[in-house]
Amino acid sequence: MSFATGLYNSFFRRNSVFVGSVFAGAFFFGVGFDMGVTSFWERWNKGKLWKDMRHKYVEDDA
Amino acid sequence: MTLVAKSSLFQQRLIHTSVVRKDAPEVPDFSKYRTNIDSNRALSYFVVGSLGVLSASVAKSSVSEFLQTMAASADVLALAKVEVDLTTIPEGKNVIIKWRGKPVFIRHRTAGEIEEARSANWKSFRDPQSDEDRVKKPEWLIMLGVCTHLGCVPIGEAGDYGGWFCPCHGSHYDISGRARKGPAPLNLEVPAYEFTEADSKLVIG
Repeated sequence: MSFATGLYNSFFRRNSVFVGSVFAGAFFFGVGFDMGVTSFWERWNKGKLWKDMRHKYVEDDA
Repeated sequence: MTLVAKSSLFQQRLIHTSVVRKDAPEVPDFSKYRTNIDSNRALSYFVVGSLGVLSASVAKSSVSEFLQTMAASADVLALAKVEVDLTTIPEGKNVIIKWRGKPVFIRHRTAGEIEEARSANWKSFRDPQSDEDRVKKPEWLIMLGVCTHLGCVPIGEAGDYGGWFCPCHGSHYDISGRARKGPAPLNLEVPAYEFTEADSKLVIG
């Protein structure tokens, strides 16, 4: 059984499984996409963010 | 013997299951170009499914971003809090402050008042609630100064129970703000609050 046949038999054969895995995939894709974009944005703007320059303006008197 | 016209019951079959004639003269035969008819099936479904994943996450984020525009922003939430310096309130005194347009009573209770509030048989009250449930620190009683009957502002250090008295319809509240007498159906409401900076400040909200 090839990879394509296994894929077809496990996900695409029943429409309920197909739609269910599409929704589950959308959930995890959304979470991962958010995390990826956030980490890229923070890397791109490194040094300009509040968490990078907070120590210059606020000294913790813990 | 009569003949029944059977043609009235005849129904033409619109869908049939007969095999397509592959050797029809007009149709070119492409079968030799295809190694396997099913070879692209999984790929096609995969493409369809990937598009579905993308569309579903676009739809989900559109809906959730739209709903987030209705939520209060962080600066609005920060303005909705009130900070009170507790060191200026002596023991046995009431302070009334305004929070979100409503009065809030802050009472610095004495040890005798705490003892009075805790020793009462609260299970027999109209709205049974123990004093331990109503305060985070026993010497500080914080509650909304709105009578639970019809919304008047009760008067402090008055009434039959040494707590609050509502002049509108004569509800009496005890030193823990619990309804004891009169038409009030519930105890005075306790807002969300917390103590900060080594218990010297109170943040309501």
